Amino acid sequence: MAIVIDKSQRWRVVAAHVFMIGLCALVIFPLLIVVAISLRPGNFATGSLIPETISLEHWRFALGIPTPGPDGQMITPDLPVLRWLWNSVKVATASATVALFLSTTAAYAFARMRFVGKKSALLGLTLMQMFPTILALIAIHAIFSRIGHAFPLLGIDSHWALVLAYSGGIALHVWTIKGFYETIPVEIEEAAIVDGATPWQAFWRVLLPMSLPILVVVFLLAFIGAIIEYPQASVLLRTQPNLTLAVGSKQFLYAQKYLWGDFAAAAILSGLPISAVFILAQRWMISGLTSGANKG
Amino acid sequence: MANLQFKALRKSFGDMEILHGVDLEIQDGEFIVFVGPSGCGKSTLLRCIAGLEEITSGELLIGGVPMNDIPPSKRGIAMVFQSYALYPHMTVAENMAFGLKLAGHSKVEVADAVQKAAQILQIEALLDRRPKALSGGQRQRVAIGRAIVRKPGVFLFDEPLSNLDAGLRVQMRVELARLHADLRTTMVYVTHDQVEAMTLANRIVVLNQGRIEQVGAPLELYNAPINRFVAGFMGSPKMNFLPCTLVAAAPTGATVRLEDGTLVAVAVDATGQAVGAALILGIRPEHLEASRTGGEGRARTAVRVAEHLGDTVFLYVDSPGGAGQLTVKAQPEDPLHMGDEAHLCFPAQRCYLFGADDRTLPRIA
Ligand SMILES: Nc1ncnc2c1ncn2[C@@H]1O[C@H](COP(=O)(O)OP(=O)(O)OP(=O)(O)O)[C@@H](O)[C@H]1O
Ligand SMILES: [Mg+2]
Repeated sequence: MAIVIDKSQRWRVVAAHVFMIGLCALVIFPLLIVVAISLRPGNFATGSLIPETISLEHWRFALGIPTPGPDGQMITPDLPVLRWLWNSVKVATASATVALFLSTTAAYAFARMRFVGKKSALLGLTLMQMFPTILALIAIHAIFSRIGHAFPLLGIDSHWALVLAYSGGIALHVWTIKGFYETIPVEIEEAAIVDGATPWQAFWRVLLPMSLPILVVVFLLAFIGAIIEYPQASVLLRTQPNLTLAVGSKQFLYAQKYLWGDFAAAAILSGLPISAVFILAQRWMISGLTSGANKG
Repeated sequence: MANLQFKALRKSFGDMEILHGVDLEIQDGEFIVFVGPSGCGKSTLLRCIAGLEEITSGELLIGGVPMNDIPPSKRGIAMVFQSYALYPHMTVAENMAFGLKLAGHSKVEVADAVQKAAQILQIEALLDRRPKALSGGQRQRVAIGRAIVRKPGVFLFDEPLSNLDAGLRVQMRVELARLHADLRTTMVYVTHDQVEAMTLANRIVVLNQGRIEQVGAPLELYNAPINRFVAGFMGSPKMNFLPCTLVAAAPTGATVRLEDGTLVAVAVDATGQAVGAALILGIRPEHLEASRTGGEGRARTAVRVAEHLGDTVFLYVDSPGGAGQLTVKAQPEDPLHMGDEAHLCFPAQRCYLFGADDRTLPRIA
């Protein structure tokens, strides 16, 4: 944009910049504090933003590297932080994949097919997911402990149970993808069907490739949601080696002793997979995939 | 290669009936054009042929085989959509190859067919491009290319040229005519462009509000429209209509009185009508004459607007004694000008009369 700007309007541009810089600072500041806490010796939540002395004790702890204790003996950290991180990534990847598969197909049905009760099904699905999950925790626990009796793989304290629980939360994803499908002219799929494609081939080979950007966004949202989810994971996972990072990190915060430093290091670790997936995903988030289909 | 038969075909969306019983036979190899005003059901009829819409009642046969319950892919048809509907994520070559690949043809066969189609349509240089990087006319050719590689029995075109500029339209029209001459495949073509219909069609089907008004060769519809709708629809600019009353009717001709009192003799057999009946006089702009001098059987009026197109002049004149406006297509030599007095002459052989039910009264050749 290179619109000519009136001189008297320049101050507005300056004001806008000041506002935006302020906003950025507001977002970045808490992150910097967490980084500072993780690098500061001892476990104090307060202190200066730039630590006077830098200590890697919390990071050693989080990464499971043995540290010399006060009595000179090497102490191996007692909490498996890296393992929790790996659990989180595993569960998030699996549940985002399942959620993506379910929501793309469900959204296709809602966007393109005619069936009885379509409107109420969509509305019902959304309404039910508007209740906070906290309300359903007891039910979720009861359901999965029952399931566990029949299929131990899907019982309490299993990652697959968590994946299954997360994959249920697709109503919003369905809405998002359905909205995107509806911006794509139906004629393109009809052309494929006249060309000899089955409805599945029209979906898989024509509609999905055009929807790539929204699929990536939904995958990201589902992935992030699973990484940071706490209530369901805290109910479904029991034993320490099985916890996700979000649940496990809570163990740094005993009633008597808050290990803020270790907690901060773990928190930063949990942000890493999200950032990594986001950077990877960006190359698929291209706009204009559907342009050129119509007259122009 | 296939012929098409419609038997009392009806189509409803919910409880709204859009096609009210279509009966029609299309010969193998024929180029048939559906015309009609917007919303009359042309696209719907085409989509019924393609199998993209279920037929509510009646029967559709392609090549003698009932098609009501056959899915689109098995009907042996190819369709060029009103909006082209190219696959935006595939190259031009992939767009054209898609159908053949699905049908399980070998790579060599597919490449061969695509190459051949690209040659016919002169888009060989574009094969590696995405649709996004094509002009409107090129996209249109790709859409046609996608249809012809499959060697269908019937081609369906839904207003393929409607968004092209005038020059490109003429060029593509000529290419379509050549394509039909080359392929000799049945083509069903929807348009509301007069010129496309007149030049491309073996036969034209005029649709109005989900009913067939008339089917016939282009000149047949132009010269002998069976009712006022077809008369007004075929020809551009459209036919002039003037209210009149019947004064005298004989097997050799009739006389009518226009609203301003002018008596006009017409070569129409109006003996079926009562003297004094209110009729409609129809005459095409190219047959109506406007001159500076008055005389017997001429109606006096004034020129409102004169449009000079170079080779012709369109005069818009007041309807004599009435509220409407008439169009006269005049020669550019010594034309009348805006505000001039004009005397309209109605050549008897060129006039049509329409009865109260809008049907054309028989004309005397
Ligand atoms: N899916 C649908 N549901 C309900 N009504 C429809 C549907 N498709 C078309 N119609 C209606 O059917 C009628 C005919 O539509 P159609 O698209 O066949 O018109 P058309 O002759 O192709 O018009 P145009 O020249 O503008 O393309 C219209 O009144 C339209 O509103
Ligand atoms: Mg149409």
